Amino acid sequence: MKKIIISMVAAITMCSAATADTIKIGVVGPFSGPFALQGKNFKAGIDAYIATHGAGKIGDNDIEIVYRDVPQADPAQSKALAQELVVKEGVQYLAGFYFTPDAMAVTPLLEQANVPLVVMNAATSAIITKSPLIIRTSFTTWQTSAPMAKVAKERGISKVITVVSDYGPGVDAENAFKTTFGAEGGTVVESIRMPLATNDFSPIMQRVKDSGAEAVFAFLPSGPTTLGFVKAYNENGLKQAGVQFLAPGDLTQESDLPALGDPAVGILTTFHYAVSHDSAENKAFVQAASKAIGNPAELSFPSVGAYDGMHVIYKMIEATGGTQDAQKAVDAVKGLAWESPRGPVQIDAQTRHITQNIYLREVAKHEDGTFYNKEIKTFEKQGDPGLAAVK
Amino acid sequence: MQTVFSIAIDALAYGMVLFVISIGLSVTMGLMRVVNLAHGAFAMIGGYIASYAVRDLGLAYGFAVLLAVFATIIIAIPVERLLYRRIYGAPELTQVLMTIGITFCVIGIANYVFGPTLKTIPLPEHLRGPIDLGFRSIAAHKLFAIGCGAAVALGLWYLIERTSFGVKLRASVDNASMAAALGVRTQVVYAASFAIAVGLAAFGGVVGAELLPIEPYYALRYMVTFLVVVSVGGAGSIPGALLACLLLGGIDTTGRYLMPEYGEFFFYLAVIVIVSFFPRGLLGKAN
Amino acid sequence: MTAVNEIPLATSAPTGHGHLKRDLIGLAIISLFAVLGYLVFPNNLALLTRIIAILLLVLSLDLVTGYCGVATLGHAALFGSGAYAAGIAAVHFGITEPITMVVIGAAAGAVAGLLSGAIILRGHGLSQLVLSIAIIHLFHEAANKASTYTGGSDGLSGIAPDAVFGLFQFDLWGRTAYIFGIVLLLVVFMLLRQLVQSPFGMLCRGIKEDPVRISAMGASVRGTLLKMYTISGAVAGVGGALTAISTQVVGLDSLSFTMSAEALVMLVLGGTGSLYGAFIGTFVFMFFEDFVSAANPFHWLTLVGALLIAVVLCAPRGIYGTVVERLPSLWRRRS
Repeated sequence: MKKIIISMVAAITMCSAATADTIKIGVVGPFSGPFALQGKNFKAGIDAYIATHGAGKIGDNDIEIVYRDVPQADPAQSKALAQELVVKEGVQYLAGFYFTPDAMAVTPLLEQANVPLVVMNAATSAIITKSPLIIRTSFTTWQTSAPMAKVAKERGISKVITVVSDYGPGVDAENAFKTTFGAEGGTVVESIRMPLATNDFSPIMQRVKDSGAEAVFAFLPSGPTTLGFVKAYNENGLKQAGVQFLAPGDLTQESDLPALGDPAVGILTTFHYAVSHDSAENKAFVQAASKAIGNPAELSFPSVGAYDGMHVIYKMIEATGGTQDAQKAVDAVKGLAWESPRGPVQIDAQTRHITQNIYLREVAKHEDGTFYNKEIKTFEKQGDPGLAAVK
Repeated sequence: MQTVFSIAIDALAYGMVLFVISIGLSVTMGLMRVVNLAHGAFAMIGGYIASYAVRDLGLAYGFAVLLAVFATIIIAIPVERLLYRRIYGAPELTQVLMTIGITFCVIGIANYVFGPTLKTIPLPEHLRGPIDLGFRSIAAHKLFAIGCGAAVALGLWYLIERTSFGVKLRASVDNASMAAALGVRTQVVYAASFAIAVGLAAFGGVVGAELLPIEPYYALRYMVTFLVVVSVGGAGSIPGALLACLLLGGIDTTGRYLMPEYGEFFFYLAVIVIVSFFPRGLLGKAN
Repeated sequence: MTAVNEIPLATSAPTGHGHLKRDLIGLAIISLFAVLGYLVFPNNLALLTRIIAILLLVLSLDLVTGYCGVATLGHAALFGSGAYAAGIAAVHFGITEPITMVVIGAAAGAVAGLLSGAIILRGHGLSQLVLSIAIIHLFHEAANKASTYTGGSDGLSGIAPDAVFGLFQFDLWGRTAYIFGIVLLLVVFMLLRQLVQSPFGMLCRGIKEDPVRISAMGASVRGTLLKMYTISGAVAGVGGALTAISTQVVGLDSLSFTMSAEALVMLVLGGTGSLYGAFIGTFVFMFFEDFVSAANPFHWLTLVGALLIAVVLCAPRGIYGTVVERLPSLWRRRS
């Protein structure tokens, strides 16, 4: 890898004598701690983009990524690190941000620092309204949850119980589903919010059973607790009883699927990206990202947010020619449309959030015994319904 | 009525899982007087070994459990020799610092070696499905965990109260220098009970993996729960730990059924009430 | 070298007139480091300000742990209460004058200190630890639930403090925040040195050594400790308010078990019961963490763990405590 870069650098310097600047991009994410896997996916997405797009150079400019670790949601630390990235490292772009509060903390800096922020994951709708210099290339919980209500209605389900983790994104998912399902004419018979630190979900499943709902809509953060939740769903006989399991795709992220295994088969999720998505762009992306992450089984959705985030940053750098002008950079990518590994996407010119397809997927098993999210339906060009709810 | 039974069964199963994992900590804290925050780290090591043995080596579940227990003990022996021996009898805060340090190291190494993804320990066929109890079905592995908990409780009680090793252990705990003067090799006794505690941690990590899945952050994520259990029960008391687990399991499960939104409040308020009234734990011995 | 020579004296045999002089020297050293920090790391001021805020938390922890012997893994409850109080005052009640915000933070911290002290002091040893853990979780849940006021898990953002004295705006480089923090720190530190050397401070130490004897002397053990807990809460609250002002955002992490545990680790690392140990522990831990996590954001936790183990093995009384303990003998050997 290094050799390639060096030889390319040599080749380019031989061809043109133009002076090359190094443009730094500061990436803040959880690279250690309980969410290390998601941070690793950020890095894989970024590495994959760089590897497939000119090996760290845009024109005459070198690109350098500076990583900073915020293991768990910690806005104060996030802000201190972002400040340091701007004033000490001199980064021209801030990117990454897995958690909403971490992204929120940075927003007051942007204007003064003249730095755009590309949110590669944090999924609360309101973030984007905090500064005109923010662009989001991931998704919002509203965006991925709302279509599920339509799916439920289409499948003839009229009574649903929602079960979410009791924190921001969980509440978002609950509201998104309730609002949309209500508009579709369905009833949410009960809404349960459970503490994040729940280990045994049997009592919750008992509640689900007692509620008499035909389906359960669930949201939990990706990671260890989803495993217990899905198992409890099976072991308490809800699957047998025909209570359909609905969720946004966070619950069945690809890196958790091997652990979830057979009990997860048949779960319906709506999400913006499946590693199994069938397109030439995605094949190339998965190949590059798998190489970057080392173990392909660890690849998950934050990687694509990071990959597309890099695409936006590259476009911004091209538009500004490497000079630091945050507003110009952001204006340049408003309305930008491209073919992402997840499908066709566009940065909405008004909201600066990504408009994208949301897919209905079902957890299925390959013949070789591995599991994947099988896309069975597409909701095209979905914006963020959550923004309306914010205002 | 059916619901009450159903909740009771869930509570029993959850409590027993907690018991199997926490009892080792009760031994280290009560008998060896070490605030061992790295207890979860040993449970996690056990879980990783079992997962590796079943998934990658294709060993049978039973063998994997044994392997996990013994391999974790073998890993723990040098740790005890080099690190724990320095903190026996040290102030609590020093012990906290050391064992948190060990936990951080184990987390970092596990993350490096096994990666950050969840690791499961595939169960054997007959533990996999649900078992019908008549009024409801329950996962077979939960019944298995209940059985393991009961077996561990009985075995430990026998070991400590009825064997000569138990006598030596209790003697060393009560008065180490007197015990040594009477010919008890306290170092050996300590090392052996440390090994037992670690073995129990590993066993608990494997048996409890269905509820508390194995991943690198396991070691810190559940540390608080283990500490709470030991403290409520009274450090070093096996019946106390059992009682605490059943009680806390019951409170937690009922709380989460009746009002899941306030589940956390329910649980910790109960802990505060219990600990305020029984500062030495439910069945802890007064010093 | 003279600096190091002075410090050990500060803890041994404080006499009326002598300790004021020594504290002034301590104050001078801190000011010197503060100026050095400003000049040498002009681009890291945000981080340094964050360290100051954490340092206030660790100092306040030292008051109850080091001077009163109370082991707690829930001290962030006081810190977070201060942070949220200052933040809520600014966002929901329009109180954006920074010094007022600090006062509000201190008051809220004191109340939280009184409350959690009343509960934690019911236990001893392990049960104390567990009570403190329960408290921090209750505070955390309460803040999560009251999301209308606290922003819940999304964090409380939109705190926009006024310029200090209407003159010094909080800027991108964090200069104002840093100087504001340093001044707060110096004031608090001076007051605390006076406090721990006052008869009241001595009483607390006495309780730590032998509570039975102190109560036999006719002093109220519980009352004294509660008082100290409240003071400690005010100090932690100041730290919390400083975070709210300097970072303009407050998150649930400021009420977390993790933060409490880290504070305890920093304190024990530096050495308990001297206030100076809190300084050293916080700086060593935060700098080490910042350095290794920047050098390797992916596997730094192992190194932090190794540092903690190394400290226990080589400096069982914490860095400061061990230096103070060993220096006199080293000194004698050399001369």
